Amino acid sequence: MILTRRDFGKLALAGVPSLAGLSSIALAQTAAKPNRSYINGVQFGLQPFCYHDLAMNRENRPILIQRLVQNGLGMVELHAVWYEPNFVGPGVSAEEAREKLRNWRLNPPAGYFGGIKKEFDDNGITICTVYVNISDSYTDAEIDATFEGAKALGAKGIVGSYGLAVAHRLSAFPGKHGMYASLHNHDNLSDPDAFSNEASIVKGLAYSPDFTATLDVRHFTAGNGDCLGFLERHHERVSAVHLGDRRKNNGRSTPFGEGDAPIIEILRLIRDNQWPITALLEFEHGTLRPAVDEVQLMFDYCKRALA
Amino acid sequence: MSHRQDLYLLFCGLILGAGSATAQAPARPGYDINYIGPPMADPVMQHSKETYVLFGCSYCHGLYLVARGEATDLMHSRLVGSDENGNVIGPLLRRGIPQTAKLSPMPQFSDLSDQQIADLVRWIHYGRQQGRYQEVMEAKDAGPGHAAAGKAYFEQKCSSCHATAGLSSIAKKYDAAALKAQILKPQALEAAPSWKVERLHDTKTTAARQRHGALLENYSAGDVANLMAYLESLK
Repeated sequence: MILTRRDFGKLALAGVPSLAGLSSIALAQTAAKPNRSYINGVQFGLQPFCYHDLAMNRENRPILIQRLVQNGLGMVELHAVWYEPNFVGPGVSAEEAREKLRNWRLNPPAGYFGGIKKEFDDNGITICTVYVNISDSYTDAEIDATFEGAKALGAKGIVGSYGLAVAHRLSAFPGKHGMYASLHNHDNLSDPDAFSNEASIVKGLAYSPDFTATLDVRHFTAGNGDCLGFLERHHERVSAVHLGDRRKNNGRSTPFGEGDAPIIEILRLIRDNQWPITALLEFEHGTLRPAVDEVQLMFDYCKRALA
Repeated sequence: MSHRQDLYLLFCGLILGAGSATAQAPARPGYDINYIGPPMADPVMQHSKETYVLFGCSYCHGLYLVARGEATDLMHSRLVGSDENGNVIGPLLRRGIPQTAKLSPMPQFSDLSDQQIADLVRWIHYGRQQGRYQEVMEAKDAGPGHAAAGKAYFEQKCSSCHATAGLSSIAKKYDAAALKAQILKPQALEAAPSWKVERLHDTKTTAARQRHGALLENYSAGDVANLMAYLESLK
């Protein structure tokens, strides 16, 4: 059964008592309410790595929120470093800092995540996912704590740049928390552990029904992948796209519309099929403009595509 | 704040400070002065810097070569240090590095013109020279230099242009900090290149500038300490 965001809204309004039997992916998508950056059938958000002049840390979070509001964006994929403390510093070894971070994750201050969620809520911004690069250094308890923290922030899932091996280990976790874990591709076609092409993503998705794909359009294009074909075949397992432009054959990143990524077609595909796939703007191309201005240009490009 | 962020802010501060002192006109609209910095006095270098930003190099490698994420550290890369006028960097830019253990391979920039490649290379070497100068000048752990090692370095890297006799008085002329600065960036080579016809073929100065730039990009703090000890021994 394919349920759209609108279908879920109707179900909720009709007082359906239980959604038992649906995967955590479907459950998670029920609460994806349209907000200020829901444009003509597509929910937009931002991967805030875009603000490349802004160091990603807790101290800069108010500026991040201010910029998101300025850009008219109501959804964000929040990297964990925007809320986790950084214990690296003079006289602290990398091992010590890692252990302190682990302890912090297992024992966060009471109400900590709720307070951060409120910062975003008060500004009309939903945290759709938390971006965290889970690795072999994570203990099971730490992975559980990461999901719980993300859930307390209002996120429906986590996403990160891990490979097949880590994904295999991760497969048991998201369902326990009623969340999903999303697989994010790069374009490293030479690493058999990497998510890069359709086959590797499909292989990873098979590890768990609670896995989704976050299709990075830029990297997929650079790896000569067929974004439209992938979405057509696997849209039910895709929770988001990282929307940016790049050229084929491991080509460079470009401003929107100057590369080979079918950005306009992707957006119309999502719109016309009413797929609950969040379009997260992300750019790595160079610009002389302030990042806020460049994000606005990208967002405006997308709005025109859907006008 | 991380060590890397500290370094980044330090370089930004230094270079922005230097830029402020020599800035040309106010930045134009649509120019992110907070990120790119005030326009530099040298328009050629400013254009190179903007080219480096426009093609996205700064996104991964950092505007002042303080790498972000998993990108190669251009400030300390041996490959960059071995480049002469783009003979190594240029071909690498054109083909990229598709086979890599990293998540994101280095993209290929096969569509750039020779001029654009030259601009990128110019900024990379400039940024590296500025950064390495700062690192070596501020190095605290180089320890006392060894004259014998300095002599060996001099004979290998410097003696093809410099005679020992000509340098015998240099250690008398400068104090330690000034001597170190002279080794890294000889004042005589700091003047802007001229495009007057009669200067176009001044290959000696051009070659000296390039040679010292290449040395600056590859000196270790120990090399410089040893050279200083050797020059001191010639007093």
